[in-house]
Amino acid sequence: MERRERKSQILNILAKSVRRIIQDEIPDFEGVQEIRLRTGQPVRVVMTDRERILPGEQKPHIMTKEEMRETMEYISHYSLYAYENELRQGFLTVEGGHRVGVAGKVIMEKEKVKNIQYISSVNIRVSHEVIGCADELLPYITKNRQVCHTLIISPPCCGKTTLIRDLIRQISDGNKYVKGCTVGVVDERSELGGCYLGIAQNHLGGRTDILDCCPKAEGMIMLIRSMAPQVIAVDEIGTSEDIHAIEYAMQCGCKLIASVHGLDMNEAKNRPVLGELIRRRMFERYVVLGNGSHPGEIRGIYDERGSVLCRG
Amino acid sequence: MQRVIGAVLILTATAGAGYMYGRDLKEYLRKMIYLRYVFGLIRGEISYTSAPLPEIFFSIGEKIREPYGLWLKMTARELEDREESGFTRAWNRCADRYLRGLGLKYEHMILIKEPGTFLGSLQKDTLDHTLQLYLNRMDLEIEKLRDGLAAKVRVGSCLGVMSGIFLIVILL
Repeated sequence: MERRERKSQILNILAKSVRRIIQDEIPDFEGVQEIRLRTGQPVRVVMTDRERILPGEQKPHIMTKEEMRETMEYISHYSLYAYENELRQGFLTVEGGHRVGVAGKVIMEKEKVKNIQYISSVNIRVSHEVIGCADELLPYITKNRQVCHTLIISPPCCGKTTLIRDLIRQISDGNKYVKGCTVGVVDERSELGGCYLGIAQNHLGGRTDILDCCPKAEGMIMLIRSMAPQVIAVDEIGTSEDIHAIEYAMQCGCKLIASVHGLDMNEAKNRPVLGELIRRRMFERYVVLGNGSHPGEIRGIYDERGSVLCRG
Repeated sequence: MQRVIGAVLILTATAGAGYMYGRDLKEYLRKMIYLRYVFGLIRGEISYTSAPLPEIFFSIGEKIREPYGLWLKMTARELEDREESGFTRAWNRCADRYLRGLGLKYEHMILIKEPGTFLGSLQKDTLDHTLQLYLNRMDLEIEKLRDGLAAKVRVGSCLGVMSGIFLIVILL
């Protein structure tokens, strides 16, 4: 995605007054990671190396209620009802695959989050597609040009989604390490494909089928039945239903690429259902990410017995 | 002979005016019924697809006749352009601009603008309920128009003929 295009996608969802400030202050969108808007607080932009208050520290622009309402109208295309499911999870995805996290007053129903009202904080996370970021990893997670069942373990904000996205693209298109094959992606939060009106905004390869906004467990089974994928990719598995669906997919002959939040192998092993899967050596490779010098830094790659294949 | 021709022409003109009055009333009712159908489609699309409003307006705009289609498509475009702050303003402006040709009465124009105050700002269940209430109100307006229609058409035709005869008598 071109930088200019990315900039216009982000500017389009901001209130006009905020849009003008960002246009004036950040003419080049290079390095912008997040835009944080909070009612009654200054507009903050998180860059790769620092955080900026706009237009300046001395005279910051304070976000008003009206500007927040206008921003939410643009983000939801004047149709908050259309994003109820996403809002329930605390975020929605906009054109370009950028993720907008929201916080406000939570409405509960039968002890479950029903919706979020009076939105007072918005965090726009700029989607970054890093083509080739999985180059280093691919030789370790393939055997005879076939992908191994792989689990990526990473703390939040360490680039696991970016990495998994590039893995999908390379597996789908094929290269010297892996034969191009059909990949089924269950994209529950529209983060991998960044689908907008059903069309993937990120490049996921020519043999990739995406089930957008679909619960992971249900989506994996649907894909196996309908699209016969050779590889299934899912991001941020967590619930026991997800893990059971992964096991089912593995038994159906599909190769699995999944990611999970965690610091290291031990933490993943201690998870109630996932740990059982690891102990049974269902996954053939484990990739542990860290955020030492750069996002997506590989701290270690392990085989099914937990032996180190590569240390970052 | 000239008098007879003149009398026939006067009678034809006034009876024609009476007929046109009746036809306009029927046409007005048809417009209101079509607008009710359009709002019914909007409600159906919202409850079935849960798609954002610009998308719904555009897809319905493609299927319905003009000028209703143009009205919805241009509203969708205005919303996508994000130049107008607030859904209500964009909705009202487009209704004024693209439905002016329908010649709706002031109270009916207000009725058409009313969804601008709630579309998009409510949760799905509430929106569906509010749209149903709105459709009920439209049905009521249509019923009101339909109730008096037959009598009005008859009165219009009779008045046309009667006024023609009256004019003929005066002029002769």
